[in-house]
Amino acid sequence: MDRVDATEHFAQHAQGDLPSLLVLIIDINPIPWTTNPLSTALPFNTALSNLLLFLNAHLAFSHTNKVAVIAAAAPRGGGAKILYPAAELPTDTKGRPQSRPPQPAPQPGEPNKYRPFKDLEEGVLAGLGKVLASVNEEDDGTDRTVVSETRIAGALTLALAYINRLAGAGADNLGQTLTKGTGTTEAGTMQSRILVVSVAGDVASEYVPVMNCVFAAQKKHIPIDVCKVAGNSVFLQQAADATGGVYMKLDAPNGFLQYLMMAYLPDPAARQHLVLPTQANVDFRAACFCHKKVVDVGYVCSICLSIFCTVPPDNICMTCQTKLAHTVGGMVVRKKKKKKAGTATGSGAGTPTVGTPRP
Amino acid sequence: MSGSLQSFEQLEALPPATFKKLYQEPCTTLALFRRMLPNLAKSIVMAMLYQDDPVPMSFINAWVKPTSRREKEMALGKLRRLCITSEKNQKLTLDATFKASFREALTGGSRSFGTPCTTEDKHPVTVEYLDNYATAQWEAILHYMVGTESERKPSEGVMRLLVAGGLMEKRSRRAEITQAGFSFLLQDANTQVWTLLLQYLSMAASLRMDHVEILHFFMLLGSLDLGQAYSKAGLTPTQLNMLEDLRDYGIVYQRKSSSDRYYPTRLATTLTSESAALRTVQQGFDAAMSQSGQGFIVVETNYRLYAYTSSPLQISLLAFFARLSQRYPNLVTGKISRQSIRQAIRMGITASQIIDYLTVNAHPQLRKNTPVLPPTVVDQIRLWQIEGERMKATPGSLIRDFSTERDYRETLNYAEELGVLLWRNDQKRWFFVSRHEQIADFIAQRARAQAAKAQGRA
Amino acid sequence: MPRAIPGVMVECDASIKAIIVKIDSERHDYILEDLDETTVLIKESKLADLKEALERELQDTQTFPEDEDSD
Repeated sequence: MDRVDATEHFAQHAQGDLPSLLVLIIDINPIPWTTNPLSTALPFNTALSNLLLFLNAHLAFSHTNKVAVIAAAAPRGGGAKILYPAAELPTDTKGRPQSRPPQPAPQPGEPNKYRPFKDLEEGVLAGLGKVLASVNEEDDGTDRTVVSETRIAGALTLALAYINRLAGAGADNLGQTLTKGTGTTEAGTMQSRILVVSVAGDVASEYVPVMNCVFAAQKKHIPIDVCKVAGNSVFLQQAADATGGVYMKLDAPNGFLQYLMMAYLPDPAARQHLVLPTQANVDFRAACFCHKKVVDVGYVCSICLSIFCTVPPDNICMTCQTKLAHTVGGMVVRKKKKKKAGTATGSGAGTPTVGTPRP
Repeated sequence: MSGSLQSFEQLEALPPATFKKLYQEPCTTLALFRRMLPNLAKSIVMAMLYQDDPVPMSFINAWVKPTSRREKEMALGKLRRLCITSEKNQKLTLDATFKASFREALTGGSRSFGTPCTTEDKHPVTVEYLDNYATAQWEAILHYMVGTESERKPSEGVMRLLVAGGLMEKRSRRAEITQAGFSFLLQDANTQVWTLLLQYLSMAASLRMDHVEILHFFMLLGSLDLGQAYSKAGLTPTQLNMLEDLRDYGIVYQRKSSSDRYYPTRLATTLTSESAALRTVQQGFDAAMSQSGQGFIVVETNYRLYAYTSSPLQISLLAFFARLSQRYPNLVTGKISRQSIRQAIRMGITASQIIDYLTVNAHPQLRKNTPVLPPTVVDQIRLWQIEGERMKATPGSLIRDFSTERDYRETLNYAEELGVLLWRNDQKRWFFVSRHEQIADFIAQRARAQAAKAQGRA
Repeated sequence: MPRAIPGVMVECDASIKAIIVKIDSERHDYILEDLDETTVLIKESKLADLKEALERELQDTQTFPEDEDSD
């Protein structure tokens, strides 16, 4: 009577038909985009049209797919802003969204476009125009060195909050949790992922916020893909690695569209079947919490695991405020002796150890 | 979901020339891409879309994980059947028309997506009105099928369609619902709409209407905006004829047949979307608006049924397979019992249809469980169906009386290769096949060969 | 020479087969050949009759708990 057994019947839902949300974070820091070699290989306009095509392709996959675009700006360019979707549609008295406000009537004979594509493009371009205008106002162009890095943490946070809002909406009714391997968010049935198109390096002071975002994404099974058009980033490498996303540093920026279509377009369900670029060597360096320097070797609080480059003042951990005891001589290479109570021990030969102050 | 894919599989049987014509329009290309391809196939198409050279098969093989070979074969097979890709010299090429149309769909620049009206409508129509219109038209059809009395009767054309599609049959004066009709009723709205439309398509040949243009119009409707008026200009004569019929189904709305604009209803705009969220038409609308479908049936482990509905259509559907005992203004209660299920089986409904219907319309409270319906109830419904099927009967022929073991073995192997072997008994040298003509030929051939050999020796 | 005998092959449980044999024993009108413990070859024209006869037999022998009307 096995064929009558209904228990497994519902275990595998049709995974290919899940709606998919793609959040694109685009780095609009003007310095890398306007300096060689990037400006000749991949001018911003071309990159933008490639990205719009890519987003259209994502929408083409399914009626239920959604897209959001966020701009991450330079430190003095204001915070991250959501370019698309812009704002809520007005609702009528019963709370149902009204049909779209009447558009200016198109000229007869004018070529038209699939409406969702058109909305996306117009929305993104309008939003981008507004953001660029505000950046121009603020930045008087004097201090160029400061501006060549991009704050990514704000954009990541915004993306995660947006995903939570959209996916969380379905949580009450459709609380089917799918197997973790498909990379779905736990609440609702909307699969989400974040794609970061980055052209600049990291801001070391952002280490803690960025890592917090990465852990949140990890928890929710949201892959963070990174497309490094130019520049180097330690944190983004770790982000892609930790969340199971795709990280690529483009050697040939003029092939941008093809990179996007092949490596970044398949959604988490399709990725199960595809071999995607992985990173061989991930740079796992961290930044210290006290001076925000990137460090190789440092001190770690044994309670809250925060990282410091030097011993904190008064031996008090800056994050959890625990009073720590610190024995002199953190770099100890001990032979296999009996451990005396209360002393820091070292591990095997050769590898420099991180001294762990104990309470 | 699988139901709608099945109805699309009919489209796969179209000849390559038809596909070529279909791919000339970007909106049809987009719609077919969305609905007919499995996920992996879509990814493959996208990867090749902006490549100008053919892609070597070795590349595709390397790109897909070795463990997913089955999905890969399925995807490639589908692409081939739909004439989207062709293979030559171990290289995969994307069909040129398809490629051009799809690129155009992504970048815009064609006039394939419907021409919105430029002038104001003297009698403007709201989205709510369109929804009500579509619901009324569609439910009239369903009510007619179920046999409940309703004020609106569907038009002659619709009734002809239902009979032609095998969903109803003419008996004495009025038409009665058939077994296929039952399963039709229990499907979700999107599948139902497509079933009717595909039936329309197959009847089109007899009405001398062009297949391709009909399909174009269907896909076009799927890409239109709700609430926006579209002008009739730019539609071919075939498509103009279709407008009349589509009005009857509630898919488009026109104030009069002579007006030069038409409004797509929600049934139209959701044609090319996935069916998962659209259950009945009414719930489809709710689902589309509130972003979370409203199921209304609760099934308990003690076989009791509670349905939060007051629609006569839903209640009649439930009465097919459950015994309804109490009715409140917003709730109907009943019980699923052996008798009620057996009665449904006698009418021709299968256990799977009942279970699918219950799952699709399950109350949000129920959806929090996995699996959605209590497995005891599901298993029991199937068991009750099997109870009636105590034996399995297969027509065919018994082959017996072989003179030698060798004759028996060889004929047996031949039958096995053909795939017609159903039962065998090696001691008695008997076996049972579903089709015996080829076996008979084989035996005769062997006999002739043996006779010739014997003669040759003699 | 091998022969081909057209008919309908019926597969069922051994108990059902026993009932079929019993039905057949009255007039020897249904079964063409007894193939094995769970399979039997039936005359094509007699298939519908056999199904009905089987239903009748089963109804007599099987009893089910009556459905109650109370909640």
